[in-house]
Amino acid sequence: MNKEELLSRLKVIVSNYTQNKEALDSINEDTDFLKDLKINSANLVDVVLDVEEEFGIEIDNLSMEKMLSVRAAIEIIENKLHEAGRE
Amino acid sequence: MRLAGNDIVDLRLAATESNWMRKGYLQKICSEKEQLLIRESEHANQLVWLFWSMKEAAYKIHSRKTGQRTYAPAALETTIQTLKPGCSSGFVSVENCMYYTQSEVNEEMIHSLASPNPSLLKEIEVRISLHQDGVYPDYASTNPHSVSHHGVYLALIYL
Repeated sequence: MNKEELLSRLKVIVSNYTQNKEALDSINEDTDFLKDLKINSANLVDVVLDVEEEFGIEIDNLSMEKMLSVRAAIEIIENKLHEAGRE
Repeated sequence: MRLAGNDIVDLRLAATESNWMRKGYLQKICSEKEQLLIRESEHANQLVWLFWSMKEAAYKIHSRKTGQRTYAPAALETTIQTLKPGCSSGFVSVENCMYYTQSEVNEEMIHSLASPNPSLLKEIEVRISLHQDGVYPDYASTNPHSVSHHGVYLALIYL
């Protein structure tokens, strides 16, 4: 799975929780879930759970710690897919 | 250390915005001990959001202190010492740091204050205002120490 495909699937997930639709249109690796998309911090858990379901991976709490931006999320998803041998 | 943080939860908005009963949700935000207390509580919903607001209030100080942004709500371990109708007090521990908390709890909202210095909690001036349209007034000029808003509520604290 390439980065673009990953980002577009991630965008669908975060669109359900983002409060700043304009920032969603220009989503990129530097986008911050809380500061830019204004996702409520209690909904960031939903993003993590949705990512787990969408990609069939498990995100442990240690990985979740860093999941505050698109870049971090993509890195975590890539690593988990790699660990599972499903790149 | 004169540091404090606050957090407010609009319970009506939380009920529509978040489904904490979703599979896996509590495991990501609560410790084992907290999950057990929630499972056994008759007021599970209020308890979930009480824990959450305590964690958020403490996190605001902790991240300022450490200069690190992380998303690890389950690692902030809450302890409730007193729970009376309308108010609660306790503490949150994380990475060998301790933050004392005081919370106001009612049917509509939960507001928590946190500080590493327990005596400071009594000195904090709290201003909670209601904004039905979700539009908050410009408060920057009043220079609040910590700001929290959720749904119809704006909560500002001053030291």
